[in-house]
Amino acid sequence: MSASNTPLIQVRDVVIGIPHKRRPTLTIVNKANFDINYGEMVGIVGESGSGKTMICRTMIGTLERRGGKILSGDVLFEGESLARASESDWKKLRGKSIGYVPQSALAGPNPVLTIEAQLAEALRNTGDTKNIKSRSKELLELVKIRRVDTVLKQYPYQLSGGMRQRVMIACALATSPKLLIADEPTTGLDVTVQSQIMDLLKEIRSTMGTAIVLISHDLALIDEVCDRVVVMHAGATVEVGSVKELVKPRHPYTIALNSSRIDIAQPGSELVTIKGNAPSVGEWNPGCRFADRCSIVQADCRTGEHPELIGASGTHQTACIHTELLERI
Amino acid sequence: MADFLLEAKNVSVTFGSGSTKVEAVKNVSLTLRAGEPIGIVGESGSGKSTLARVLAGLQVPTEGEILFNGESVYKGSKAYTGEARRQVQMVFQDPYGSLNPQLTGLNAVAEAVRIHDKTSKELSEERALQLLRRMGIAELDAIKKPRQLSGGQRQRVSVARALSASPTVLLADEPTSAIDQSAQAQLLNLFRGLLDEGLAIVLVSHDLGVIRYLTKRVYVMKDGVFVESGVTEEIFNDPREEYTKLLLASIPGDLGVAARQKLNKS
Ligand SMILES: Nc1ncnc2c1ncn2[C@@H]1O[C@H](COP(=O)(O)OP(=O)(O)O)[C@@H](O)[C@H]1O
Ligand SMILES: Nc1ncnc2c1ncn2[C@@H]1O[C@H](COP(=O)(O)OP(=O)(O)O)[C@@H](O)[C@H]1O
Ligand code: SF4
Ligand SMILES: [Mg+2]
Ligand SMILES: [Mg+2]
Repeated sequence: MSASNTPLIQVRDVVIGIPHKRRPTLTIVNKANFDINYGEMVGIVGESGSGKTMICRTMIGTLERRGGKILSGDVLFEGESLARASESDWKKLRGKSIGYVPQSALAGPNPVLTIEAQLAEALRNTGDTKNIKSRSKELLELVKIRRVDTVLKQYPYQLSGGMRQRVMIACALATSPKLLIADEPTTGLDVTVQSQIMDLLKEIRSTMGTAIVLISHDLALIDEVCDRVVVMHAGATVEVGSVKELVKPRHPYTIALNSSRIDIAQPGSELVTIKGNAPSVGEWNPGCRFADRCSIVQADCRTGEHPELIGASGTHQTACIHTELLERI
Repeated sequence: MADFLLEAKNVSVTFGSGSTKVEAVKNVSLTLRAGEPIGIVGESGSGKSTLARVLAGLQVPTEGEILFNGESVYKGSKAYTGEARRQVQMVFQDPYGSLNPQLTGLNAVAEAVRIHDKTSKELSEERALQLLRRMGIAELDAIKKPRQLSGGQRQRVSVARALSASPTVLLADEPTSAIDQSAQAQLLNLFRGLLDEGLAIVLVSHDLGVIRYLTKRVYVMKDGVFVESGVTEEIFNDPREEYTKLLLASIPGDLGVAARQKLNKS
């Protein structure tokens, strides 16, 4: 299959739950809908707890390790179902086609292995065990690490946070994946280092053609480096669109998030904040889960299902049933 | 009355000795007037937290002195005493580390109120609730333990705790680095409110975007020294040092992009 019309990844009506023996299943994502095209850089933005990491786990098949399960919907990789993939299918896919830099990778890599050993492990997992040493060096060069020979012999604790993150990205690239997922790769790093990591991701995308998913809670960052944005709130994708389209957001949550950006605020001016907190999993009311925080909420927002994303798939879509009232915000 | 509420004069801090010697802060001087918002910005390891701890009375400087209302506060090797101890309060990047995991927000703040006011349990709880409410923590959340709160809420509980001493200076060390964008906006709004009420704030951050939003003056710190300092707006519009230009270009979003374009042109 090629870069024809089929997107690289299609997340379709995905509902994720955590089944319990005695209690009812806890729903933590309902629903997620978005595509990732070949070579595209997509940002997933949302508050912590909104389900960003869980959605990524569906793409790399590690949902069950966290007790999670796709209850309905599907994730298609090059048109093939991941929801029904067996562990042996995953062995082929994971690492081969999708590279993952986990959240708080800064705590990893494995502290007792030298960088050389970590890279060797990642490279052996590709099935090709030839020329490990030279391929390790190439990987480090790819992520712009200098003094490669020295670094190979070092342990993670001897490296700065930024360097450790580069090593993690190198490991994820060992298989030349079609998709690289970076889950909050710069949380906890200096903005100077963040900016370098972003340059690196952009370069990987343009030289290797890798599609990249960047997860962050910082809309300004995503706006700066991504082509498209997926906005999540309380386990639902509430808005999807290109960065250009999102200049004029059409969901009250995104509008508020956009107005709370300090990079576009006047110094000392009142920043827009979002009322209250997102409802916790297990405490979702019927209807729109943004209702308690929404400034244009109507009575019918609180009934039935959570609003569906509306709009042509792949372009600007919004999950709000009262977009006609947006001008009041 | 002294000219400055808080002043650092030729402060140096050295850790260890011999081959493990680290000069974290090297001969820096800083002034803060009552009610003023200032910033200290620089990359990790530049010495910001060490300097903040010295200013807060938590770390005796190796050299130099700290004046609070014109009076030297470190008497020999002793830490802050008297009024300065109460009036200069600090909050940290990770309130997890500074909040007792066993105490509810209400109990943590009430305990701090009692230390400073020596009042009854009822009165201290009433005052604690007041402070928490002012920080946007409703009673329902005030009775939760730290792990049941969001990062932003935890940070606001620790600010409420710092405020229980009725300080005149709040030192905030990377208060927004570990929290969501909307939680950051909420905290910055609250800080603005505190400034309006006359509190002086020293904001420590690696992100010039946050510094620009809140402060009027800024000290740019690198490897233990101030490489540039002045009016925040001027430093933004016309940074002198390469290092400052790098910090500017690294701000996520429009500010950083604009700074990079300027950098590439020159
Ligand atoms: N094993 C679990 N049991 C119960 N809740 C869970 C479990 N794993 C995750 N969650 C909840 O699912 C929600 C989504 O989590 P996550 O995807 O990690 O959010 P994000 O990455 O956006 O911060 C959170 O509210 C989290 O508390
Ligand atoms: N207690 C300590 N003992 C030894 N070295 C320290 C100690 N605290 C800080 N340092 C060192 O001092 C330097 C400045 O650290 P810090 O003040 O934390 O900088 P920043 O807050 O700007 O990241 C670093 O090199 C750090 O490793
Ligand atoms: S559906 Fe209703 S509550 Fe939800 S975002 Fe739209 S207007 Fe607000
Ligand atoms: Mg996450
Ligand atoms: Mg620090």
